Amino acid sequence: METGVNSKIVEVTQVAKEVIDKQKERKKNFEYWGPTPREARKAAVAKKKGLIDKRMTIKQAVDTYIKDGINLGLGGFVNTRVPTAIVWNIVKKGVKNLTLSLQSNSICCEWLAGMMIVNPDHVSIKRVELAWWGYEVIGIAPLLRYLAGNEMIEIDDYTNYGMSVRFKAGAMGIPFIPVRDHGGSDMELVNRGAMIQCPFSGDNTYLVPACNPDVGVVHVPMCDMYGNARIFGALCTCPEIAQAASHTIMSTETVIDNMAIRRYPNLTEIPYPVVDAVCEQQFGSWPGAVYGMYWFDMEHFLYFRSMCDEFRKTGNKDKLKAYYDEYFFGCDTWDDFIAKIVPHKKLIDLRKRDGQQPIIIS
Amino acid sequence: MVSLADVNPFEMIAFTGSRVLEDNTIVFVGTGLPIIAAMHAQMTHAPNINLIFEAGSLASILEQGMPLSVGDTRAFRKAVFAKGLCAVFELTQRGYADYAFIGGAQIDMYGNVCSTYEGGNYLKPRVRFPGSGGAGAMAANCEKTIAIMALEKRRFVKKVDFITSIGFGDGSPDYRLKAGVMGSGPYRVITNQALFGFDEKTRRMMLLEYLPGKSPEAIQELVDFELLISPDVKEMAIPTEHDLFLLQKKCDTEGFFLKRKVVEQ
Repeated sequence: METGVNSKIVEVTQVAKEVIDKQKERKKNFEYWGPTPREARKAAVAKKKGLIDKRMTIKQAVDTYIKDGINLGLGGFVNTRVPTAIVWNIVKKGVKNLTLSLQSNSICCEWLAGMMIVNPDHVSIKRVELAWWGYEVIGIAPLLRYLAGNEMIEIDDYTNYGMSVRFKAGAMGIPFIPVRDHGGSDMELVNRGAMIQCPFSGDNTYLVPACNPDVGVVHVPMCDMYGNARIFGALCTCPEIAQAASHTIMSTETVIDNMAIRRYPNLTEIPYPVVDAVCEQQFGSWPGAVYGMYWFDMEHFLYFRSMCDEFRKTGNKDKLKAYYDEYFFGCDTWDDFIAKIVPHKKLIDLRKRDGQQPIIIS
Repeated sequence: MVSLADVNPFEMIAFTGSRVLEDNTIVFVGTGLPIIAAMHAQMTHAPNINLIFEAGSLASILEQGMPLSVGDTRAFRKAVFAKGLCAVFELTQRGYADYAFIGGAQIDMYGNVCSTYEGGNYLKPRVRFPGSGGAGAMAANCEKTIAIMALEKRRFVKKVDFITSIGFGDGSPDYRLKAGVMGSGPYRVITNQALFGFDEKTRRMMLLEYLPGKSPEAIQELVDFELLISPDVKEMAIPTEHDLFLLQKKCDTEGFFLKRKVVEQ
């Protein structure tokens, strides 16, 4: 989209002209990196809207909805309520030419990237629309650094609000949304948003395109068999992602009775029609944290990150390959994986460390 | 009496961060030293500071200890409001967040911050960092932006490689207006050896305080652009024994942020 309106970033930027020209072409030839808002609506209209038992295994859900070339919307935030059990199954199944959409994530992205490095014929990421890919306290993400530095993925950069509100626009069924950030930063020049003059206030106003993933993947503490979900602690951007996506796979720590949902309908953060698969999976966010359930497992983040960093420095894939062979392909299910990789006592400790944050289950 | 030798650089940053926060404000914090600074302020001169964590909480009570991440479940403990990213960023965009507390890899004289990449170019960066995360939105729409940086020549640069978080741009009076952002912009830059503000007229970075024993000249040596020096420039306050007790025993009890190495390689 070309509007002829810019902030003064064009006069300040240090980004090379050829880079800006290339990104300008991308703006001009804008296309949604997933379903258009109209296509996403069609997917919604086509769904059966009855209260249907949607319970299945994660493997069944992944086999049904994960296909080459899709836009995969990742729920959670950095290390919180990240949908690791679903992503683990996606890595096992294999998927090529993925577009990832997310605000901030850590190990979900790095697991997919690690598999891409070990065997690009099994998993490959083509591009990412994101705000942040890293580990926070633990450090920057070695595999993002590797893939970006070697021009192996295309990136579209927004702020955390930018990406969150792109999903929100997707969830609202509108094609874009105005925001008060990105303008005046270099993101204005390189991402796929556009500056306009607001027809009402006259203010320069930045527009970001809606993001409707083909498949949204979210992990919640509890939902009923139809997909009505409660979330405690951070909602992150899960409700928006689930409602924006053409299809949503939801893993849940526990499936609760529909009458419990009906007792406190205000507690439902994700309503059933937007959910396609309900997959009960305890510890489905490990090594991430689930408020009221368990804290994050710092040790495993450190362990996996150090392996990835070693690869980035040496180019030697052996340890990474052995990790995937043993902990992904050497396990049939997520339960087998958890049994193999985390001592039971550690899981008990992680439950304690969350401090039994109060939640309403029934 | 605490001597300067007893205070490590991170404690100095957290303590200085605490000093610049006013009471009865909302602080939008990033992971690490900003959380510690805000916790210290709550325990001392600003008991009615309330925090936003970007995963979606407002005014939590950090009784389980310092959250290790802004998405940490501890960051939601006994909050008054717990939603998601959209909710807290919209409160911010609306004008309800007084301070942004951000970090970055590079900063220039107008307070523009880079946290996207360093070296190479955007499409083939030498070191790609995680990206904006919340920082770009916080710097745009919190009322005042506070940046925390290590004071090094390679970080205080003439031009940042990429403006991730908007400052005053080129310093022109209408830069932020034309950008469409709402906050008033850079307010303080906190380092282990100096506290900077910004000149109202030129919007350039100005030295306000320096570490006792240093001098404005010594600080200028560590900065690649020309600093303005405040006419009231003075030495930084040093934490008392009680401040150090609070920082070490009540905030970062495990030393995650206060005890790490000064410069990450």
